[in-house]
Amino acid sequence: MKRLSDVASLREGYDLAIIGAGPAGMAAAATAGGRGLSVLLLDENPGLGGQVHRGVEASPLAAVPALANVPGAGRALAQAAARAEVEFLPGATVWHLDAARRIGVSAGGAARMVVARRVIIATGALERPMPIPGWTLPGVMSVGAAQTLLKAQGLVPEGRVVMAGSGPLLWLYAAQLVAAGHPPALLLDTTPRANWRAALPHLWDFLRSPYAAKGAGLLARVRRGVRVVSGVASLAIRAAPGGLEVAWPGGTARADRVLLHQGVVPQTNLAQAAGCELAWDKAQACFVPRTDGWGETNLPGIAIAGDTAGIAGAEAAEASGHVAALAALHALGALDGAARDAAAAPHQAARARWRRGRAFLDALYLPAPGFRVAPDEAIACRCEEVTGAALREAVRLGATGPNQAKAFLRCGMGPCQGRMCMLTVVETIVAARGVAPGTIKPLRIRPPVKPVTLAEIAAMDSTEAERAAVEGR
Amino acid sequence: MTRAFDIAVVGGGIVGLAVARGLAGRGLGVAILDEGDVARRASRGNFALVWVQSKGLGMARYGAWTTGSAALWPGFAAALRAETGQDVSLAQPGGYSLCLSEEELDRRRAAMMRMHNQPGWEPIPWEVQDHDRIARAMPGLGRDVVGGVFCPLDGHVNSLRLFRALHASALARGATYLPDHPVRDIAPLPGGGFRITTAQGEIEAGRIVLAAGLGNAALAPMVGLTAPVRPQRGQVLVTERTAPFLPHPVATLRQTDEGSVMIGDSKEENPVDEAVGPGVLAAMARRAARMFPVLGGLNIVRSWGALRVMSRDGFPVYDESETAPGAFLVTCHSGVTLAAAHSEVLAPMIAGGGLEDSVAAFSARRFDVPSAA
Repeated sequence: MKRLSDVASLREGYDLAIIGAGPAGMAAAATAGGRGLSVLLLDENPGLGGQVHRGVEASPLAAVPALANVPGAGRALAQAAARAEVEFLPGATVWHLDAARRIGVSAGGAARMVVARRVIIATGALERPMPIPGWTLPGVMSVGAAQTLLKAQGLVPEGRVVMAGSGPLLWLYAAQLVAAGHPPALLLDTTPRANWRAALPHLWDFLRSPYAAKGAGLLARVRRGVRVVSGVASLAIRAAPGGLEVAWPGGTARADRVLLHQGVVPQTNLAQAAGCELAWDKAQACFVPRTDGWGETNLPGIAIAGDTAGIAGAEAAEASGHVAALAALHALGALDGAARDAAAAPHQAARARWRRGRAFLDALYLPAPGFRVAPDEAIACRCEEVTGAALREAVRLGATGPNQAKAFLRCGMGPCQGRMCMLTVVETIVAARGVAPGTIKPLRIRPPVKPVTLAEIAAMDSTEAERAAVEGR
Repeated sequence: MTRAFDIAVVGGGIVGLAVARGLAGRGLGVAILDEGDVARRASRGNFALVWVQSKGLGMARYGAWTTGSAALWPGFAAALRAETGQDVSLAQPGGYSLCLSEEELDRRRAAMMRMHNQPGWEPIPWEVQDHDRIARAMPGLGRDVVGGVFCPLDGHVNSLRLFRALHASALARGATYLPDHPVRDIAPLPGGGFRITTAQGEIEAGRIVLAAGLGNAALAPMVGLTAPVRPQRGQVLVTERTAPFLPHPVATLRQTDEGSVMIGDSKEENPVDEAVGPGVLAAMARRAARMFPVLGGLNIVRSWGALRVMSRDGFPVYDESETAPGAFLVTCHSGVTLAAAHSEVLAPMIAGGGLEDSVAAFSARRFDVPSAA
């Protein structure tokens, strides 16, 4: 792996560009390197690993015996990627991707446009928002953000910590806090009891999957050291003298920090900006790009690997990264069909193994509608401070989806470009209108997907015709 | 069951809503038939200028119509605020066209002179100013700006709030808004009136106003009208919010009431879609940074492309069908500037006896005249 330090050292074009160096991106790089093709790997972070394997190359936790295994899980994969014959630009923001596979990338305050014959989008997942009253108060943060501080800086939250929500990451982080000797004071489990009925048919597959052993141990470790309240059906957070107060039916608790989490959803902004089609996934209650078994999208030459194509976890992401890279190698003429199929088979089997257990987790941890729809007083769009009540007013004015609501209220227009709020906005509109979620299209996303300075855009090339369209008056 | 209305307005953009609001204010039962959440909406992508200085070269009447609408705007904005509580943030401090070379400035000045020398032109105030004069009014002006044209009648609004206020005002006045009702067919009925086939069933209306932007091209022939409109793509860049520094709107960039700076000056013919192209955005960004160097350090948080609704000569088309009485056509590309005139002048004509002589110049019949050799 050749590590680049700035956009000036990028070539103009690559055979393959991989966007995101989490498990899917690292696996794609490891498979695609060394085949005589030019391969570029891009990531926002200073090193390999993505969110789940953050700090895999250098971690402050390595010196903490109880947590030394946290960055360890992705080590073999990161080493394989590091050995691969690819170029890697860390600290890179990808702010543009279009159907012509032009990639706008910024690093260190300078921007470049590079073109790739094939692109693999591996931008991973982000946490599903949890728009309860008070979720935007100081002292409230997401479990994912708290875990980032743990992995990147070795920090644990101080004071009286209340965790609330549902999903594997909630339990994983609680277990990590227990291991670090800083257990949370209380864990409010919002998993709806009724979900068990939908989850049970998938239980057998789950028990046969590698998830089962992993999950059972986690839950047991947390329950031994932490007070857990199950079946919490609603939640509100209020500012209280000297801290916060969390209220649920049947109780209240004081807190210095409240950490919320209710699962993760695909981070699709870049794919959407390029023009990839999305569809509503009922089981995961989110938009998911349409992809085939190789990760190919509706756009020729653009594939998606990992959780961006639907949440399946780090191990499945790794497998799908190998598969997408093999498909790219075949398309680029570096691998014949038989060789591709043979090489892909074990990865496809691994992916299937991990996905088998996933249906149970999807059904069990699907948050209740009450936690996905913004109540009147709660903020749905944080950038523009748009509440649930404002969204219902927009529906009364005739807004049928997030794009018209955006025009009325600016929700989705802030720096996050709808990454954080789109699902809340869509589900709040769906609930207010009483229609099926699949009938509403997602927000239209346009570049820059991430903020970039005007000067950086000004440094891009223009053709004669493009200049004339602006100056020819 | 077929729903019946006095009048149906096809199109829920700023043009259709402004007309519908005016009609509803005259006591008519109005239906607004609109597309859904995802549609080609110039009203969601426009630049929000209430602009006078460059309007009318080639048609003197358009200049006067524009100036008249700009003059109606303060009262129009106040009425919207009273009816809906929405402040559309109208500001008419005068605006500039800035030129980055002597050649550009000469072209600009010559166009202004030609416009003002047209027969029937109703004079508007304007002047060419040099760099130093503009820099006194606009601190932060880049050294590459050699001069520009200033017109004290120019201004801007918050066009998204205008869009919302028009929706709220039309509803408050009793109009019925029907989203997800794209129109498939319009049939004039023998005894008068129209049967409109939408994606969600049929609607009957005594009269009909086509205000569907680019969609008018296909709809107009169904009622004996023609709407020769084509899409012209424009792209816009928006910065993060920053402290107020631009006291006047410029034809190609303006600071909104919320602090962000909008930059937009591309005119692209034969667009295949509404997508943004980095090369065009780069050319826009370079010019903007030369006009106001401080912009270079601001983050761009959004960009978009939208399709202007351009008639063959660029001027509005207002028409009334001869073969299907009660069918009207309203289309233009300056829907924000003309919103006040559409709501307060044009709609009352449609509600009353029909289009009056004062707007006869805007009939599509002007395109039937063979051009002089």
